[in-house]
Amino acid sequence: MRFAVAHKAATYLMVGFAYLAMIAGGGIAPMIALAGVVGLIGSWWWEPPNVKLERWAWIWTLASVFALIYSVLTAVVTGDFLGVGAQFLIWLVVAKAYNRRAARDWQQMYLLAFLMLVAGSVLNADLTYGVCFLGFVITATWAITLFHLRREMEDNLLVKHAADRASERVEVRRILDSKRIVGTRFFVGTGFLSFGVFIIASIVFLAIPRVGFGFFLKGHKGQTFSGFNDGVKLGGHGVIKNDSTVVMRVEIDAQYGGRDKPEVHWRGVAFDHYSKGQWTRDPASPWNREIVEDGNPPSSVEKHKIIWPDAGPFLRDAAVKQGIWLDPLDSDVLFGGGIPRQYEVAKIARKRKQLATRNQEMRLDHGETLHYTVWSDFFPPPPDELRAANGKLSPFYENVYFQIPDEVRRDAELYKRVDEITAGLTNNYDKAKAIETWLETNLSYTLELADPGSVEPIHFFVFQRKKGHCEYFSSAFVIMARIAHIPTRQVNGFLGGEWNEYKGYVAVRAGDAHSWAEVYFPGKGWVTFDPTPSAPGGELGRGGNGWTAKMGRMLDTLRFQWSKWVIEYDLVSQISLFKDIGNAFKRAAVALRDVFKWLLSFWPL
Amino acid sequence: MTFWERLRRRLRPPRRLSFTREGKIIVVLSVGVGFAAINTGNNLLYLLLGWLLSFIIASGVLSEMTLRALTVERRPPPRVFAGEPFLMEVVIKNGKPNRASYSIEVEDLQGKTPIDKRCYFLKIPEAKSQRTSYRHTFVKRGLYTLSGYRLATKFPFALFRKSRDVDAPLEMLVYPARVPVPRPPPRALTRGDAIADRLGRRGEFFGLRESRVGDDRRDVHWKSTARTGRLLVREYEDELARRVVVAVDNALPKDVREAVADGHVTPAQEAQVSAVERGISIAASLAAAYLEVGWTVELVSRNCHVLPGNGRMHEAKIARALALLPYEGEETPFSDMPKRIESVLVQPRGVPAIGRPSTQTVMDA
Repeated sequence: MRFAVAHKAATYLMVGFAYLAMIAGGGIAPMIALAGVVGLIGSWWWEPPNVKLERWAWIWTLASVFALIYSVLTAVVTGDFLGVGAQFLIWLVVAKAYNRRAARDWQQMYLLAFLMLVAGSVLNADLTYGVCFLGFVITATWAITLFHLRREMEDNLLVKHAADRASERVEVRRILDSKRIVGTRFFVGTGFLSFGVFIIASIVFLAIPRVGFGFFLKGHKGQTFSGFNDGVKLGGHGVIKNDSTVVMRVEIDAQYGGRDKPEVHWRGVAFDHYSKGQWTRDPASPWNREIVEDGNPPSSVEKHKIIWPDAGPFLRDAAVKQGIWLDPLDSDVLFGGGIPRQYEVAKIARKRKQLATRNQEMRLDHGETLHYTVWSDFFPPPPDELRAANGKLSPFYENVYFQIPDEVRRDAELYKRVDEITAGLTNNYDKAKAIETWLETNLSYTLELADPGSVEPIHFFVFQRKKGHCEYFSSAFVIMARIAHIPTRQVNGFLGGEWNEYKGYVAVRAGDAHSWAEVYFPGKGWVTFDPTPSAPGGELGRGGNGWTAKMGRMLDTLRFQWSKWVIEYDLVSQISLFKDIGNAFKRAAVALRDVFKWLLSFWPL
Repeated sequence: MTFWERLRRRLRPPRRLSFTREGKIIVVLSVGVGFAAINTGNNLLYLLLGWLLSFIIASGVLSEMTLRALTVERRPPPRVFAGEPFLMEVVIKNGKPNRASYSIEVEDLQGKTPIDKRCYFLKIPEAKSQRTSYRHTFVKRGLYTLSGYRLATKFPFALFRKSRDVDAPLEMLVYPARVPVPRPPPRALTRGDAIADRLGRRGEFFGLRESRVGDDRRDVHWKSTARTGRLLVREYEDELARRVVVAVDNALPKDVREAVADGHVTPAQEAQVSAVERGISIAASLAAAYLEVGWTVELVSRNCHVLPGNGRMHEAKIARALALLPYEGEETPFSDMPKRIESVLVQPRGVPAIGRPSTQTVMDA
């Protein structure tokens, strides 16, 4: 390959990978991203002698000034400095690609490519970033090495010495067109070099201590998916989209995970106050979380215990451990299976802001992504124990979890229906089960929304439309249970997920968002009730066993490993990794010692 | 060579490192990305930081590999004159059996300082050598010692320039500057006889010698030439009388000599030094001119005497003596001033008056 072509190709590949890393996260408008790609491709041929660059210079300068003014104004108006900055970067790199004249222009392209990679680190946390990064490392090694050689050639080889005459210029073009300077061997050699660079980069990455200070850190909003909502409002119309984006991956013991195991309710937010079709949290309800203090010396883990008045003791051995890798969500809530009892998260150097948590929610001031461990009670007490749980409720429960809005109190038909369902039943458990069963069997599930108009949404759902989505079912259950004087609340989270047999984890997708209810039994705590009719294939084996599904799960395994070892690699993971490495060395030392002993046994003396 | 000696030699400092502009940019970027990574806890920024640092590490390792097993040989021209550019040939050999070296710079060192020119080698294939040359000019005559050479590279990413100094002393004798002088025969007078009286006179046959520029073709001895294959001419006794003494005064006042030794020369002193140096240059040029046309030349100076002789070897002998001619005091006498001087071509201030007229000035020294 001609030297100049090799250098240009390596540079374009390098810029291309950085560009992809930035736009693949979806933070850039597709039209702008596409325009950038087309612009970059077009610039390949935009060079002398095809074009006289000087003739066009003023147009590019003028356009760049315009782009700068436009970007500043847009950023100020929208407040999206990152997105607008990324767009301006696209403009700059395209403009530079059309104005490649001197060594300085190439250098600026490299710098812009690196800045795009930096922007991509915020805009794109997906595996695509990792792939692009690997491509960038290889092509950057080629491009920068070739650039260095090119510049040295231009600086040093242009003067030819001759004994009998003065120095004279050697034609640059002839050198740049030479095919003898770099060949396959050069690219393979530097390819190995870049692989070495990648390995060292990985070691450095794993070794740098993870202490997040968070100075000047501004909260970044995660992506909003259709599905989970940090709030519930019944009504509206349209069709709920089924989003297959994975939002959470849960490592869980094999006895709870598997393609034939039952679905798990991944609890997120809970609401206690219903009014006009909307669920909120009663500001009077107390906080329900305490941070467990460490021993001395303090550990690297921050422990958050979920508490309520008559919660039994938290027994770590009896609880189910889940390691959760949570992708960006437009919420600061953390999820946990069953009834979560304790959350554990890696400490950071800065003190985290305490967020209000009610209804046994867990909220944490965190960045875009988070890895944490949660310990939960997965299995409710046996029905007999729940039937016998008739202890007195504290006033707090009376005030908060029996709330019924006036518009429902006026709904005699609903009251009458509840009385019919619970007639003859004497304990809360049986009554709740009867309501749950009635909803499951008499009403049907649909993702098509219908506007209830001026009708109270629950009345509209139970008596008129008789079908709805999970939020209708759970809301109807909670209100009907409260009419039957059972303390209940509404819960949002995810249900089930897809068990990944390759790495043993549950991949929870945005489309798995779900809504259900919790009933309180004095002395026993909160128990999950899910009145939504079960969809077929309700176990964790969803996705099927076809080769496309398996391929999909393999790809998700890669994404998970990327997320686990790169995106959410924290102090806890780091300490655990170092311990593993230390243990491996110890084992190797012991093995070596044994080998030595064995060898010494043959020594004649 | 033992293992430890080899190891010590491999690890031998110093490697000089100086950051280039790009290197400084990378360092600034690393600090910025590192701060952002620690601040935000964004692991992708840690990844970028890892890449930047490994880029620097890889650059250091590769530049070291590039500089290993390179040897340089310098080949100066046979004669170097002050004030005249010359070409120094530089041959570099890559001793690595299976790895090419890229982007190598070679600089000659005078003491610890590189001279103003350097050679650049884009690629030295494995187990191959390459050659190039650089043009350089020594302003003054004398003996120069190039203490060694410096091998440097910015390969592979031009983040920094790594160099290694190698001790390889090379002595270079720089002859006095060549200046235009009148071609012989001179207008010099000799004691007792005018040159005119001698012109055209043929003495007794003395022997045969190789032909030189300016020889009369009638003097070619064809028989001997045919027999030996070399152009031989007859030499007559009378030619031996074509003898010249080049006398040059290398005296400088004590304060000027001290100033020269200290390197703090005033403009007035510089003028004095220049005058002597010009005299030396003229003397060297005259000697060369006379020797070229077959005259016998003798060099006389204070504390320096080159006995009469002719031919190429003698020219080199005189040039060497003049290249190394030190400054002397007025009290130092001229060495072995001949009693009979056929021609004194350079007016030395302190040459004693001998005969009639004592001297003939050709050039003012």
